[in-house]
Amino acid sequence: MQVIETNNVVKVYNQDHLPVKAVDGISLSIAPGEFTAIVGPSGCGKTTLLNLIGGLDHPTAGNVTVSGVHIDTLKESELTDFRLQNIGFVFQSYNLIPVLTAKENIEFIMLLQHKDKRQRDMRVNELMAKMGLSETLNRKPSELSGGQQQRVAVARALASKPKVILADEPTANLDSKSTEDLLDIMAKLNSEEEVTFVFSTHDQRVIDKARRIITLEDGKVISDEAQ
Amino acid sequence: MITALSWKNIWRSKRRSFVVMGAIILGVWALIFMVAFYNSFGEAFIRSAVQYEHSHLQVQTESYIMNHEISDHLEDADMIINKIEEQASVAAYSDRLIVGGMIASPKNSLGVNAYGINPELEESTTKLRSQLVDGTYFEKVKRNPMLISQEMADKLKVKVRSKVVLTFQDIDLNITAASFRVEGIFDSKSPKINGSTVYVRQDDLARLSGVSEPHEIAILLNESDQIETLQTQLQSMTSDKVRSYKEVAPEFNLMEESSAMTQQILTFIIMLALLFGIVNTMLMAVLERTREIGMLKAIGMHRQQLFLMIMLETILLSIVSGPIGLGLGYGTIIWLGNRGLDMSAYADALKQYGSEAIFYPTLDSSYYLYLMGVVVLTGVIGSIYPAFKAINLNPLEAIRKH
Repeated sequence: MQVIETNNVVKVYNQDHLPVKAVDGISLSIAPGEFTAIVGPSGCGKTTLLNLIGGLDHPTAGNVTVSGVHIDTLKESELTDFRLQNIGFVFQSYNLIPVLTAKENIEFIMLLQHKDKRQRDMRVNELMAKMGLSETLNRKPSELSGGQQQRVAVARALASKPKVILADEPTANLDSKSTEDLLDIMAKLNSEEEVTFVFSTHDQRVIDKARRIITLEDGKVISDEAQ
Repeated sequence: MITALSWKNIWRSKRRSFVVMGAIILGVWALIFMVAFYNSFGEAFIRSAVQYEHSHLQVQTESYIMNHEISDHLEDADMIINKIEEQASVAAYSDRLIVGGMIASPKNSLGVNAYGINPELEESTTKLRSQLVDGTYFEKVKRNPMLISQEMADKLKVKVRSKVVLTFQDIDLNITAASFRVEGIFDSKSPKINGSTVYVRQDDLARLSGVSEPHEIAILLNESDQIETLQTQLQSMTSDKVRSYKEVAPEFNLMEESSAMTQQILTFIIMLALLFGIVNTMLMAVLERTREIGMLKAIGMHRQQLFLMIMLETILLSIVSGPIGLGLGYGTIIWLGNRGLDMSAYADALKQYGSEAIFYPTLDSSYYLYLMGVVVLTGVIGSIYPAFKAINLNPLEAIRKH
């Protein structure tokens, strides 16, 4: 079974009273454990497609299935629960909670899942070790470098043991070294944690690491290649 | 988890949180002070009226209360006095023979109530001697001595040792006139007494009026919380009317009710001002965190959890600062309650109301609890709009916000 399926998905925005098709009839399937990059020029619909897959936006037409669930039919609270249990998000600008330490940021999502302390501690320690963050456990985001913050954000996304991680331009704010490190870690986690990674990116270094590249233009898939 | 996050969020902008806390502390302190001050004004007025005029309890016949006729004197005064003297709760009492009449000097005449008193008993009950501003207290004038107020002396244009004539109806309804000599001039705290009361010896008035029994017994208690017990006790043994000072002067009830109403109005006004401050601050706090709130919603935080988080931030601010304000207010009231607040600058105006010039602010302990509840409630109400604003943010748009 495919972990992500979109069936002729369309998303139309009204911009200045004019309809703009951000996603125009995209149908694709992503299998569990894939490491996929969605690429294309700015405004081609990468982020919109990611948001539709993540249930942060609703398609104008078509449907989206994640882990066998038609997410566009879920009510808001069901969708929130679904995201909590099944989807991890990594944002371009990290979006960590500034008042919490690295450990607490990672732990937070498990608290939302009502995991007990023992489970939380085990998972946090495991992820911190895998992400090379053990030293930064008790540091707040403002005390971390951009690369470290994005690694904490990835660890937070993984903490809930989601089936899919959606990363929107995760390396856009990182230098080369941090990008390399982050990509290596994500590739490693992709196989170790058996979690599906879908990126939207411009970054050639990410594209080079991806095993499947879906290229969009004007809201349509113009190529879908494995490498 | 949400509580811990809310707590940390409070300290995200220390300056802003301290401003809100300062506003709550100041508001609570000011409210306590104002309410206690207002209470103290009422209490000073009541204390003064009880101490110098009405005492705690008064015994009179029902018909005397209605008509104030000279014939409406007590029939069983001795029995009541014996019972009063047995009571440990009684600090002092004074039995009075009262006649309404006219006092005249060569220059003027005035309508008065002449109180025939036992000087020693009256002194312990209304501290009459201490109110003398001139002359002596039933000590030097052998025949028909009289004490009149300064106000009356000014109107009659008389001084100590001047002669005045008191005219009234005796028990047989004959007009009786007798000459009295002013032995002392007093200045009572009670405007009513200053305006219409003269004091003479009870024996003199009894002899002139033909009435031997008093019309009224005023009783001063050690503690005002003993009023009801003694009132019930005395009432059960006499057909005369035993009334508390609140029944004698219903304006005290009005004063107490208006004090309670003022307390509510002041609380409402200050809390309303605080409410706007809280809403403004929390709204700012929410709008500054738009992107973070969007992220929280995106990763799986429910609307209810988000609502609770924002609400807890305000409640925690109230819970931290409320008790500080209460503590400061309590300390101020205790200090002023012991030391007294000197309002001598307004003594003349206060005297018109029969009030003392030293106020002792007091506040019922239940008000502190009530106020704490009101502060938390204000916090809860103040957080509703910002919390709704937060939960209605579209996560997608919120995350994009810079």
